Amino acid sequence: MERFILFVDNVSAWFGKAFAWLILVMTFGTSYEVFMRYVLRDPTPWAFDVSYMMYGTLFMMAGAYTLSRDGHVRGDFLYRLWRPRVQARVELTLYILFFFPAVLALVLAGWKYAGRSWRYLEVSVMSPANVPVFQFKTVIVVAGLLLVIQGIAQVCRCLLCIRTGEWPRRAEDVEEMEDVLLREHERDELQHYSEAVDVIDPNEPGKGSGKGAGKDAGENRP
Amino acid sequence: MTDPQIAVLMLGAFIFVILLGFPIAFTLMGMGLAFGYYAYYDPERMSSIFDNRVFDLFVNQTYSVMSNDVLTAVPLFLFMGYIVERANIVARLFHTLNVAAQRIPGSMAVAALITCALFATATGIIGAVVTLMGLLAFPAMLKARYDTSFASGVICAGGCLGILIPPSIMLIVYAATSGVSIVKLYAGALFPGFMLAGLYLVYVIGRALLNPSIAPKPEKDEIGEISTMQVVVMLLTSFFPLAFLILSVLGAILLGLATPSEAASIGALGGLVLAIAYRALTWDRLKEAVYLTVRTSAMVCWLFVGSWTFSSVFSYLGGEHLISEFVLSLDLSPITFLIIAQLIIFLLGWPLEWSEIIIIFVPIFLPLLPHFGIDPLLFGILIALNLQTSFLTPPMAMAAYYLKGISPPSVQLTQIFSGVMPYLSMIFLAMALLYIFPEIALWLPEVVYGR
Repeated sequence: MERFILFVDNVSAWFGKAFAWLILVMTFGTSYEVFMRYVLRDPTPWAFDVSYMMYGTLFMMAGAYTLSRDGHVRGDFLYRLWRPRVQARVELTLYILFFFPAVLALVLAGWKYAGRSWRYLEVSVMSPANVPVFQFKTVIVVAGLLLVIQGIAQVCRCLLCIRTGEWPRRAEDVEEMEDVLLREHERDELQHYSEAVDVIDPNEPGKGSGKGAGKDAGENRP
Repeated sequence: MTDPQIAVLMLGAFIFVILLGFPIAFTLMGMGLAFGYYAYYDPERMSSIFDNRVFDLFVNQTYSVMSNDVLTAVPLFLFMGYIVERANIVARLFHTLNVAAQRIPGSMAVAALITCALFATATGIIGAVVTLMGLLAFPAMLKARYDTSFASGVICAGGCLGILIPPSIMLIVYAATSGVSIVKLYAGALFPGFMLAGLYLVYVIGRALLNPSIAPKPEKDEIGEISTMQVVVMLLTSFFPLAFLILSVLGAILLGLATPSEAASIGALGGLVLAIAYRALTWDRLKEAVYLTVRTSAMVCWLFVGSWTFSSVFSYLGGEHLISEFVLSLDLSPITFLIIAQLIIFLLGWPLEWSEIIIIFVPIFLPLLPHFGIDPLLFGILIALNLQTSFLTPPMAMAAYYLKGISPPSVQLTQIFSGVMPYLSMIFLAMALLYIFPEIALWLPEVVYGR
């Protein structure tokens, strides 16, 4: 089961991360449009379509990746007070009650929606460049399928947690700066014991060198 | 049960399920579909269980989020923020400003405040600003024997300014929910943002003048001899590039040169150039910024998918109408309504995050605004002011907890809270000023874009 979770996490992460790079396409594409329009006075006919398609694809395809890293916002002010086992039971119920009907509906309805678009190879009406949109509508189906698979992995997580009483560990990944800094700080404090009153500047690793050799702040930092 | 009653039940059930801590985007989708299935149920069309228009509604709403031209700016601004956050810029900026401000009373607090404001504006990520500054400026201030409460207030409040001062992600999200033009919102938020930052500055300098013991003057040897020329060079290399980046993004939007997503892409490009110029752009950092961007964008935009599905079912059932009838029957004056609305948003800010509040709860108030003759633009800026408090007030004061998390154990949470209190009252003061003189917000959009 753990290997299955890991596998699904990796699949979701692969898709999410691969499509994440569209942000660079978006940045350069739109900047190019700005240059063409305001400097050369010769706007491109496709830039607008391309930018919203990049944006739409990017966030849709990352839905499962975000779920696998617990990145979807929750109102957790009660949730976090519960024991992991209670959390897992509640979550399991809600996955079955809300999550699966919703993402399955997304896949099925999206299939119909994209199918209609494929039949006449629909193009965008926003610009004269005839940018195709049927592939963009297909993103709904793919994103939905990824969410279904990730959802199964999440259910496995809940089951594991109900059995063992603690949440299985998540794979290492980039984290928000504040989380990284907070954890590093916590670790430093543990290593410094009572000396924790010290203040450590992350940008000057040498600063902590006044203390015992093994506890040098500089060595604790990766 | 009548349909509007079902709608109220729907809202009640939703609020209950929020408490259970399930990812809200999916709760909204699931409940929207379930209640929508009931609302759109039509026995004559039922040849299979899937023949229900709620599915079309769902996928249409999803597609409208995907092709929404306001929200395209969200990932771009996030990307700019993550790149600037990783550009190793804070330490330089703070050091420079500290030197430049040395003759001003409370110089280090002033420098910290301006660094926070600038950095928060460019990145829009409150947690990162507060933790980075908490590791950098906070210890420096404590070492200079600044009062703990005083120092912590500066960092927490300064870090939250990014919500209000454009280009703020929160305002984009509000624009997408309310339909107010984003460029007008940015133009409107500019002066209130400066006003609030100005109030903070006046407070910091004033306190330092009245009570020099909480912010002792730097001693000569602490800063060392630095000539004016050197200060100018430092400002040129650290302060101005970032300020220029922010101003060019803002200027492009305000002068009508570029749409927000175009300005945002220029900002993202500028952020990349800045990071390269500071030799801080490594492959790893770029990867981190890209992946964090995609995750945060997915979080915000999937919330929109859920919320638009939920709220269209809610208003189809007549829930919106019922709420406006109820509120109108109370016969409130505009000011009472405004105060109640802001109070509710303030209270929601305790347990919930800004994204949830703006995307899910603010739309409930929006249809009521015309009845009371309140400009949705002004309302949005009041919310942006208001939501800063949600990071500063217990029990969920994220800014305070971040600071506590990275500060030495001798710093008490209560000290941080007491340091934050004056800033809370300044936020309320700013809200009152904005209500009494709405021109502070409305003047610039009117001049630039007309009515």
